[in-house]
Amino acid sequence: MKTSVENVADLCEFQEDNCKKFVDKIIKANREIFMMSFLLKKQMCGYDLIKDIFSKCDVFLSQGTVYPVLYTLEDEGLLHAEYSKGDMRSKKYSLTLNGREIAEKDVEDFVKALEQVSLLLKR
Amino acid sequence: MSLMLKNTINGLDKILFDEIPKGSVILVTGAEGTLKSGLVFSMMTNYIAANDEHGLYVTLEQNVESHLRNMNSLGIKEEGGLHIFDYRDMRLEWMDSELDLIKTTEEVIDSYKEKYDNLTLFALDSLNALYSISEHGNMRNKIYNFFSRLRDEELTSFLIMESAQSRISGQFSQFHQIEHFLADGTIELGMIEGKGGVKRYIQILKMRATKHAMEKHQLTIGDNGINILGPIY
Repeated sequence: MKTSVENVADLCEFQEDNCKKFVDKIIKANREIFMMSFLLKKQMCGYDLIKDIFSKCDVFLSQGTVYPVLYTLEDEGLLHAEYSKGDMRSKKYSLTLNGREIAEKDVEDFVKALEQVSLLLKR
Repeated sequence: MSLMLKNTINGLDKILFDEIPKGSVILVTGAEGTLKSGLVFSMMTNYIAANDEHGLYVTLEQNVESHLRNMNSLGIKEEGGLHIFDYRDMRLEWMDSELDLIKTTEEVIDSYKEKYDNLTLFALDSLNALYSISEHGNMRNKIYNFFSRLRDEELTSFLIMESAQSRISGQFSQFHQIEHFLADGTIELGMIEGKGGVKRYIQILKMRATKHAMEKHQLTIGDNGINILGPIY
């Protein structure tokens, strides 16, 4: 049984061309959850997140949509930010304990919601 | 208790007789050191503190920390509902890419509006910085669309623009005339040298659908923040 987080990654990696437009919409509309699910794996800066989401999901989240989410999550105490040692050019974000709990729960709920929607559509 | 923008600064109601209509786009112009950022930030924090609303202050000139240090030195305190966004991280991490800063600013506004339903105030500090790091091609159209977008979003917006005009010729440069034409209001801040030394002033040059004074009024900064005193003749 895969974990929820891996299921979200599956959604990204195995999308077929004809469902790309829907995956694109889903990821853009729910970018906060996707960004947190990527941050569950490792600490990242805004640039890394945009690059990783693009390479894994083939969806480009623009800078103006990613950085505000990072800053508001930091304000809410869900992310911790620090500059890399010796590199003041990139601010790396990691989930706080509270942020990790919320991210795991949200990702799990999100995957369930997608499964329910999928069942509803197949009826 | 709710507060109107015209009551956010001590004495502002001496020059602004009606409330600024929601969704107005207002230019705040003046030379360096005339308290443009301080006036706008002060109006926004006082408004947000008294009303259950959110605001977004986008700074291109400074990062959040230095902006707040600056504001604290003027006696203006931070307010939780006023979100400050700077471009420092984005510009450093995307150094090799060309960013369309007008489009990016619109996306930043959309992101905060998604998060906070009652985002009603917006400020950009400054238009000059935006121009200096943007592609100038088709800038008139971009600015026209940007202003329209702010109105459509019903954001009462303050666009800060440094201008050397008040000291030298009294004329705005041609490059900056478009903003004055498009804006719903223009507030000019400046300095006048008189017998008593140099005094700061505020003057409302234009404010659509709002009754206002035309005279220059003295602007001071005290322990309780910014104050507007009587007319300067």
